[in-house]
Amino acid sequence: MPVSRQLLKHVSFSFILFTFVVAVTTALIPWGSTIRAVLPDFVALVLFYWCMYQSRRIGIGWAFWLGIVLDIADGNVFGQHALAYCLTAWFVLARHRQLGMFPLWQQALYIGPLLFANQAIMLLVRLATGSAFPGWYIFIGALSGAIFWPLLTLILQLQQRSEKRAEIQS
Amino acid sequence: MQATTQPAFFKQGPKPFSRLLIYASLSLALLLIDVRWHILQPAREIVSVALYPLQWLATAPVSVAHQVSNFFVTQTALQQENRRLQDERLLANAQLLRMQALQQDNAQLRQLLVARDTQGGRGVLAEVLYNDRDPYTAKLVVDRGEQDKVKPGQVVIDPLGVVGQITRVQPLTSEVTLITHKNQPVPVQVVRNGLRGVVFGAGPQNPLEVRFMPVNADIRNDDLLVTSGIDGTYPAGLPVAKVTRVDRNAGSAFARISCEPAADVDMHRFMLILDEQRVLPARPPEPVADKKKGAH
Repeated sequence: MPVSRQLLKHVSFSFILFTFVVAVTTALIPWGSTIRAVLPDFVALVLFYWCMYQSRRIGIGWAFWLGIVLDIADGNVFGQHALAYCLTAWFVLARHRQLGMFPLWQQALYIGPLLFANQAIMLLVRLATGSAFPGWYIFIGALSGAIFWPLLTLILQLQQRSEKRAEIQS
Repeated sequence: MQATTQPAFFKQGPKPFSRLLIYASLSLALLLIDVRWHILQPAREIVSVALYPLQWLATAPVSVAHQVSNFFVTQTALQQENRRLQDERLLANAQLLRMQALQQDNAQLRQLLVARDTQGGRGVLAEVLYNDRDPYTAKLVVDRGEQDKVKPGQVVIDPLGVVGQITRVQPLTSEVTLITHKNQPVPVQVVRNGLRGVVFGAGPQNPLEVRFMPVNADIRNDDLLVTSGIDGTYPAGLPVAKVTRVDRNAGSAFARISCEPAADVDMHRFMLILDEQRVLPARPPEPVADKKKGAH
């Protein structure tokens, strides 16, 4: 079912902030390195979601600052997440109207490569700053993120769905 | 590009692409600054303090689970651990006691080593096996015998002075008669003036006494008595006793002189059997009642 058919309620800013806080918190949980590689990048997913559905409020600025926060939390090179999120968020923003009309699995086909690109950009940055190549497993997260995308969309829209759909549609 | 063809009422401030350029170049600049000059460390620290609550939130479930599982450690596990620890403590205590005993032994052995060196370096170290079973005699059995070339008559000393004399030798052990043994004589000499005399044992519980000393003999309290070496059994100059009391009773022919042994006669576990026999010319065969010989 195309998502755009549904009429969604207005989203309060505090809810958007709350989802970001939850996403950053999951990123901060000390997973083992293997679990962390398999888990999708929740911050990126939530960011893409809001870029797609709330493109007037959430944009590249948010992508940048979220990336900075993650860089600080991980103790990484300053700006690696920020650069990756800025670039990929722009790709979502540029196509957000089109994407909104796609069914969820097609959205996932678009989101997956973006997550892959995130990892690729960060890998390039790390290699350029002298880190060793960690292994191909860092890209597993992109695949699992694409799979998780429909579920995330449904979860985040639970709150947005109007309880009285019939009245609004009429 | 979608953004460029938007109608005016969809405009959202600066175009997304220009924003992208701004923020991308900003993050690149941050990257370069951080990699090159490391001057962003203070900013990083400040922001990480702000992030701390989130980090706490992320790690809290893990630590809470840890605490809960700790709380439900079973009673039996605790009891087992308690028992094991107590066993270990007993064992450690026993080891500690043995350690202390070993330290004392070690100190004494070192002193004996010094004593042997001052005695010309010849002697056999002996360990006391047990006291003689007879409570009326002051004798010890030590762990050196004929195998170690111990001969009757050899002198046994400890770091402080003469302890006694070997009186009986068996293949592996030998018997030491202490100077406190009843009527065990030791020829001595007062260090202060060279006055000769003989010290006799007076039984295990009593001090030594110097017999056959005239009432007017020049001997006082605290005089040190050493072996005189006269009979050839005892080497000269070994400390034997210290005078503790002199009774000059005009009613008897001799003074009663009590002494205490210089050596810790009944205290040590290790002793030194001196191997120093002076070869004297044969005693002239005159039937004079001289001083008793040390060895029986």
